[in-house]
Order: sequence, then C-alpha cells, then structure tokens
Amino acid sequence: MPLRHVDPMTVFFLVLALGAGTAVYILHGPAAWWNALSRAAELMLQVAPILVAALLMSGYVQTLIPRHAIERWLGARSGMRGLTLATVAGAFTPGGPFAAFPLVVALLRSGAAFEVCVAYLTAWSVLGLNRALVWEIPFFGLDFVALKMLVSLPLPFLAALLARPLGRRMRRPAC
Amino acid sequence: MLSAFLTILTLLAVCAVVAHFHPQGSHRAAAREGWRQLQPLLTRLPIALLAAAFLAVLIPADAIGSLFGEASGWPGVLAASLLGGFLPGGPVVAFPLVVVLFDAGAGIAQLIALITAWSVLAFHRVAAFELPMLGARTTAARLLVSLPLPVFAGTAAGVIAL
Repeated sequence: MPLRHVDPMTVFFLVLALGAGTAVYILHGPAAWWNALSRAAELMLQVAPILVAALLMSGYVQTLIPRHAIERWLGARSGMRGLTLATVAGAFTPGGPFAAFPLVVALLRSGAAFEVCVAYLTAWSVLGLNRALVWEIPFFGLDFVALKMLVSLPLPFLAALLARPLGRRMRRPAC
Repeated sequence: MLSAFLTILTLLAVCAVVAHFHPQGSHRAAAREGWRQLQPLLTRLPIALLAAAFLAVLIPADAIGSLFGEASGWPGVLAASLLGGFLPGGPVVAFPLVVVLFDAGAGIAQLIALITAWSVLAFHRVAAFELPMLGARTTAARLLVSLPLPVFAGTAAGVIAL
C-alpha cells in the first residue's frame, strides 16, 4: 500500500481499529470478532462497486465543469437571484475543501456579498451532488439521501438570511 | 442498494456520452481524475470499515437507541447535531461510523441532523482549511449562522418521515 496516503486521520483510525478489534476479541470472543470482520467485508463489497463508478463519474464532472465556469455563474450578483445561483453552484461544485474554499476567497475578493458566499458554502456542504452520489448513496441508500436533500434545500437560504445582518456589520470582507 | 448502483451507472453513462461530444470532454482525463481520487481510499476505506465494524460490536445498541432513537425527539436531534459537529474526517471515515449508529437504532431525523452538522459545521475542516483560507472573522460569522441548520434539517426530516 502506498505510504504517502497514510495521513494522521488514517493512523488514528488504524489505532482505533486495532484497539476496538482487540477489545472485541477479549470481551466477546473469536466468534464475534470474525462476525465483525465479515460485516466489514460485506459493507466493503456493497460500497466498492458504487464508489468506483461514482468516482469515475466525478472525474467526468470535474473535466466538464471547470472552476472558472462556476466563478462566472456567481459573480457579484446578490438578492434572491444571486442566492439561487449560489445554491445551484454550490450543489454542483465537485471536489473537497480544496475546490470550494479557494473559490470563496476569490469571490469575496471580487466583491461578492457575504451572504452569497455563505449560501454557496452551505449549499456545497449540505447539497453537494458529488458527495451525495459518491458517498451518501452507497452508504445510506436512495430514500434516505432523497429525504436529506429535500430538507436541506432551504438551508442555504436560511443561512444567508441569518448572515445578512452580520455581513452589513462586517462592511468589507475580512480577507 | 441495487437501485443506487443503477442510478450511479446511468449518471456515469450520461456523463460519458456528454464528454464524448463535448469539446472539453476527455475520457482519459476523467479516468485519471477518478483514479487520483480512488488511490487514497484504497488504504483509508478498509481501515475505516474495520474500525466501524468492531466499534459496532462494542457500542451498546440500547444506549444509542435511547439517545438518538426515533423516540428521542428533538433532544435527540440536538445531541446528534452536537456529535456531528465533532465527528472527524471526510466521508470515507465518518460514514462507516454513521452506519454503525443507523444499525444500532438511531432515528432518521437524528441521523440527518448528525450528517448535516458534520457537513456544515465540521470543526476539523474549519481548523484545517477554512480558518487559514478565509480568516477568523469570516469563519466565525459563517459558523455562527450555520449553528441552527442541523437542528432545522433534523426537525424537518422528522416531520416529513412521520
């Protein structure tokens, strides 16, 4: 296994797995230990095919929706139209924090309203289609994810509404 | 889960067809990007699944049920939001743990609050990315307005699921 992918979080979970595995073996015996192991293998087999297909799809999306396209969508527009655009853009922004935060920095510098940035970040985190398809559906199934998406739809607007008075007090972006 | 797999496959096919006829589309670039994202998971995912499977045996299901179960109501939603905010790691390590809670009898509303808190508050991500990139004031303001969101999502999910 490539060592360069072993980050602190992986080490933490490795220690957790070893510790919990030992505890299961001592407290519940070898039968329970094997049971847990086969449960992990089962989940792996369930998730892996969806994950591989979803990552390939995510690869396509990232080549088709470049960052500057999202920047152009957003611009410095505000109001309901700006918020809706920010929410849609957030939901479509693929990739992890490496992709989203530099974009927000660029938006704030170019004069986008704080509430629009908040709507964008909220949409990216709770409505992110990429994450929903790659991660949430394999683990939780379609029904659960559909319900979660439905109740998450108003969240970017709610956050922006709460952010409006704060944005006025901040006067200009802090960064 | 078969329907989930078929959904993803359909979307993948649509993306491949669009990329095929799009001037910027490239099968090779897409495959390279997908592989780049898959590589770190080859170590992380099995380890996280193992840790979650062992924890599932150790965590008392009764305690999870009474804390986060369907009957726990909005105090359960609140507790789940708190736990979600402090749940570490990306989806690859966090979601196996959420599945453990799911199997142990946590309610839908409580789990949606937990996942929403994990995605919108994510204190580990804030410390690692947001604070250095956006600065303390912007980060603090965003966190402040995001605090009620998980409770809202969980409560709404509870109302709809009923």
